[in-house]
Amino acid sequence: MNIFTTDFFFSIIRIATPILLATLAAVVGEKGGVSNIGLEGIMMMSALFGSLTAYWTKSWFIGLLIAMLVGLLEALLMGFFAFKLKTDIILVGTAVNMIGSGGTIFLVKVITNATMDQSMTSTTSLITKALQIPSVNIPLIKDIPVLGKIISGHSILTYLAFLLVWLTIVLLYKTPLGLNIRSVGENPNAASSVGVSVAKVRYITIGIGGILAGLGGAYMSMYYAMGWSLDMVAGRGFIALAAQSMGGGEPVGSMLAALVFGFAQALGIKVSATGVDSNLVAPIPYIVTIISLVIFAINQRRKDQKRHAASALN
Amino acid sequence: MNKKNNTKFTIIRAIAAMAIALLVAFLLVFLSSEGATLGERFNASIAAMREMLISPLFKKSGKFSTKNFSDVLAGTIPIMFTGLATCIMFAANQFNLGAEGGIMLGAFVTAVVAIYVPIPGPLLMIVAVLCGALAVAVIMLIPAVLKAKLGVSEMVNSLMLNYVIMYFLNFLMNSYLADTSKGITQTYPFRENAQIPQMIENGSRLSWGFVVGIIMVILCWFFMYRTRWGYGIRMTGINQPFVMYSGMNVALIVILAQVLGGFLAGMGGGIEMLGRYNVYNWSALPGYGWTGITVAILAGNNPIYVPFAAFFMSYLTRGCTLMSTNANVPSQLISIIQAVIFIFFAAQQFLAGYRQKLVVKSAQEELAAKAAAGERSDR
Repeated sequence: MNIFTTDFFFSIIRIATPILLATLAAVVGEKGGVSNIGLEGIMMMSALFGSLTAYWTKSWFIGLLIAMLVGLLEALLMGFFAFKLKTDIILVGTAVNMIGSGGTIFLVKVITNATMDQSMTSTTSLITKALQIPSVNIPLIKDIPVLGKIISGHSILTYLAFLLVWLTIVLLYKTPLGLNIRSVGENPNAASSVGVSVAKVRYITIGIGGILAGLGGAYMSMYYAMGWSLDMVAGRGFIALAAQSMGGGEPVGSMLAALVFGFAQALGIKVSATGVDSNLVAPIPYIVTIISLVIFAINQRRKDQKRHAASALN
Repeated sequence: MNKKNNTKFTIIRAIAAMAIALLVAFLLVFLSSEGATLGERFNASIAAMREMLISPLFKKSGKFSTKNFSDVLAGTIPIMFTGLATCIMFAANQFNLGAEGGIMLGAFVTAVVAIYVPIPGPLLMIVAVLCGALAVAVIMLIPAVLKAKLGVSEMVNSLMLNYVIMYFLNFLMNSYLADTSKGITQTYPFRENAQIPQMIENGSRLSWGFVVGIIMVILCWFFMYRTRWGYGIRMTGINQPFVMYSGMNVALIVILAQVLGGFLAGMGGGIEMLGRYNVYNWSALPGYGWTGITVAILAGNNPIYVPFAAFFMSYLTRGCTLMSTNANVPSQLISIIQAVIFIFFAAQQFLAGYRQKLVVKSAQEELAAKAAAGERSDR
């Protein structure tokens, strides 16, 4: 059986998109010295409010905007606790993830009860085809024999995600703000000594991450799964952290890592279609994460040793 | 700052954190309440909040309820163990979040031993729980060794392991261990002699595992504050270079903390299984690991405070459950309350640490000034 069909490669990109968006959030965060492990929780919250707003306003676009706004607000709130109240950012992230898991189900029950007179535990019945984030066929490219079938016909968020990889590079390396983000990440004291407002830059850093994670959440509930349901993000926010460190913290490398996870998951889906217990297939991306982190660490160590050896000889 | 003021400060901060959490809870309850007018909704919310705060201890008539109280105590058993596990790992500054998967794996392994291994008498109970605990301790070697030897984030790895454990156990259940005569996925019943006896026979499922938990609390406290290795773990959390330069094996300490944490989480899973259930039927992560993190934060990573923090969390959880059955408020409110308390406590703790540093610093400056003055007078 040939599994490497055009459909398969198409599904890799489809699956990798939310991971990629969250990964970019992690990349910007880590560059600015903000380890945001709450991406998972932010995605859950954005997914919920995005899908609800889309249903209320009958517009996927407003849903998308609200998802981004919710992501931004939640990230800024995290920033308030982490930077202002000096809570360990890992614990802030853990709290956000708790709310993302149990809190969202509370909210969806309460909100649907108040607005629709019935308490729902998911919004999968609310997001119809018309409210789905639209997908586009790219003219010209869609006519290329094999490639066209793989890279054309995705949701606009997918193309936005890949565009954002480039924008992230521009932001980090070509703008004054990017310079500030990186300098605050590397040495906040030095940055502050030349007049950079460390707090402001950190808020911007975590805010950008929140917006990106919000986009990822919107993709999950308004395109990938058509509606919000409990724990639907299923660790993608965490996998993004792994992709970030596998990619060496650079946008392009991390994008490739995100695609590797997309590949692992797509492969899993293919394999389970042949009748293998899905419980045996579902953990593949998580195992791939652990293995690839190890490989990356060993590589990094070897590189460091080489560099040390070289500098010792000079 | 003297000790008295310090204690006062800590208590005030703790009360403030809880007050904020309750206020947030009240707002959310108010939003979900039903009623024609705002006043009606306000009264309904007050009633719901009272239900949440009082019903875990008292009956409707206002009398103390032993049953409700033992329910709360029974609820502390698993989170006491995950709380202890998290305490030890966090004390070494190892943000291992694997207690969640750990307690599930421990429960599963214990259940399998309790079903299939013919050991006579109460020995089976002990062997089963120990097997569960050891299994998790071994699994925790993965994030621990990778962190110690390669510097890979234990946090990401332990999170990934939670998912791997859950899916793998579900696979084993579906494919090999499920009792196929039942409609839902569950194992065959445990052997009679594997069941941990109950302290009170009132259906609360308050087993003697509670006492084991308290004993573990004392042992952990002794280990952390009265032994060389415990000191090493705490010091690694405070100042890792210091530990390294004073000649202790940091890598070993990092591994030890996580393996011990895994052992405790696994033990908690085993005890919960044999004390509360007679078949294994978990199909998703139970959430005790996350509550354990809250417990550890509330306890300030000190094992001796874990039972109190666990009781508090169990009380609130029970309160939310009772409220959801009697008032129209979903019980998942607990995760929001938990997160709010948690985040304010953690904030306060950092400030306390910072203040401590300031106190130490000013004391050092004082000493330095004294030493300088002494030198001058010597001349």
